[in-house]
Amino acid sequence: MINFDEELEKFQPSLEVEQAEDVINNNDLTDVTDILKEFLKGNKDNN
Amino acid sequence: MICPNCGSNMSDKRKRCERCSTDITIYKKVLRTSNLYYNNALTKAKVRDLSGAIVALQKSLDLNKLNTSSRNLLGLIYYELGETVAALSEWVISKHFQPVNNDADEYISKVQSNLTKLDSLNQAIKKYNLALGLAKQGSDDLAIIHLKKVVTLNVNFIRAYQLLSLLLIKTGDAARAKKYLQKVIKIDVSNTTTLRYLKELEIASTTKDLDGNPEAEPIGGISNTIVPISSYREDKPNVMAFVSLVIGIVIGLAFMAFLIIPTIKNNSSNSNDSSDYTDSGYSLAQIQEMNNTNTALQKDKTDLEKQLSDLQKQIDTAPAPEDNSQIYDSLINATELYFVEKDKAASEQDFMPIADLLSGVDDTKLKLDSAVTLLNQLREATYPSVASLHYDNGHDLYGSGKYDEALVELMKAATLDPTNVDALYFTARAYHKLGDNENAVKYYNMVITDFPDSSRVHDSKDYLKQVQK
Repeated sequence: MINFDEELEKFQPSLEVEQAEDVINNNDLTDVTDILKEFLKGNKDNN
Repeated sequence: MICPNCGSNMSDKRKRCERCSTDITIYKKVLRTSNLYYNNALTKAKVRDLSGAIVALQKSLDLNKLNTSSRNLLGLIYYELGETVAALSEWVISKHFQPVNNDADEYISKVQSNLTKLDSLNQAIKKYNLALGLAKQGSDDLAIIHLKKVVTLNVNFIRAYQLLSLLLIKTGDAARAKKYLQKVIKIDVSNTTTLRYLKELEIASTTKDLDGNPEAEPIGGISNTIVPISSYREDKPNVMAFVSLVIGIVIGLAFMAFLIIPTIKNNSSNSNDSSDYTDSGYSLAQIQEMNNTNTALQKDKTDLEKQLSDLQKQIDTAPAPEDNSQIYDSLINATELYFVEKDKAASEQDFMPIADLLSGVDDTKLKLDSAVTLLNQLREATYPSVASLHYDNGHDLYGSGKYDEALVELMKAATLDPTNVDALYFTARAYHKLGDNENAVKYYNMVITDFPDSSRVHDSKDYLKQVQK
């Protein structure tokens, strides 16, 4: 059976157009390649 | 390919950078994996497994944020699911990483070019947020109303459909909830939330059926498609049809007997009796002629009525003829009185009533010359003595200081006997005494002008000077 209150809590407000700028600015864009670069840079410094 | 360590260009086939000797095997593997996820997502998106595609694209971007294709596709999928802001965000970030030769340009410009559509989508988002707040506060009915509006503004807004379906399930309207969920399934076939709600609805339906609820219908409405086959029965002759036919014939015959046949007979007799039969063309000509005559007569009638009206106006506005009999009556009465008074002794004669009657007669209205002559004769006979009487009365009243009363008598005397200069003089004096200088001057001048030889002229001139000072 569906627990309506639990289901309702899963729904989050949708982003409005006025909030788009904040979303873009605060987006965490770190990816694996960034980590790899850091790793490679660390190795080079150690050598 | 660009070396992640030194940023120099290098061949895709090499495992190490020629410039900085960095081993880029893992780096290349990460990029390949990112592309692999992109390909996987594209395959899923083509069969509308959008939820699965989103997961794959997010993994692709977690590995390589510079994978523009992945980011653009992710934006497109978000847009398809009604998440406009998320879509725009992905395309803007994509453009940031790859400013030129990027499909995101086209997507952004397409969305921004239709401001009405963009405003409508934003309104849908705001209403969805409002509805979500209402639903969390327990106002399910209001939330449902708002969400119905949301799905009309943005027909692909998956989250709105899901929330609406959830609230409808809660309020017991499973049929509508299912309808909305099926719409969602057409947009995104693998959305786990949608599938879970649909499964719940199916379970609930099956449970009802097992409980023996006759109103419960199995999914798919199979009961509607199965029709029980009735046993074969040979058609019996329909007696009622025959009876109806007989009744119809009887009604038709009655209609002919009572309505049609008498009319035909009547027309026939009329045509036989008419000796002055004329063809329709001639009748029309006659009618036309009669109409013309009628029009002419109407016009004549209007003209005559107008003439009558004008004449009536002339009669109304014409001066009423004088009552000649009244004029002559006065003259006759005056004559009778004159003869009565003439027979009396001189001391007893009173011509004053006669003078009054005569003064009321207008000379100009007398048509008969004899009447005019009679009038003049009577005036000559009566006016001097009456004028003298009026003068005497006026003079006495003037002497006693009754100037107003004196004026009446003196004026009568002057009127009846215009040669009586004394009457004029004392009229002027009476006006002078009363302070009516204007009339006093008038009468003094009359004395001076009309009777220059009179003894009253000298005094009149003196008094005139006094008045004019």
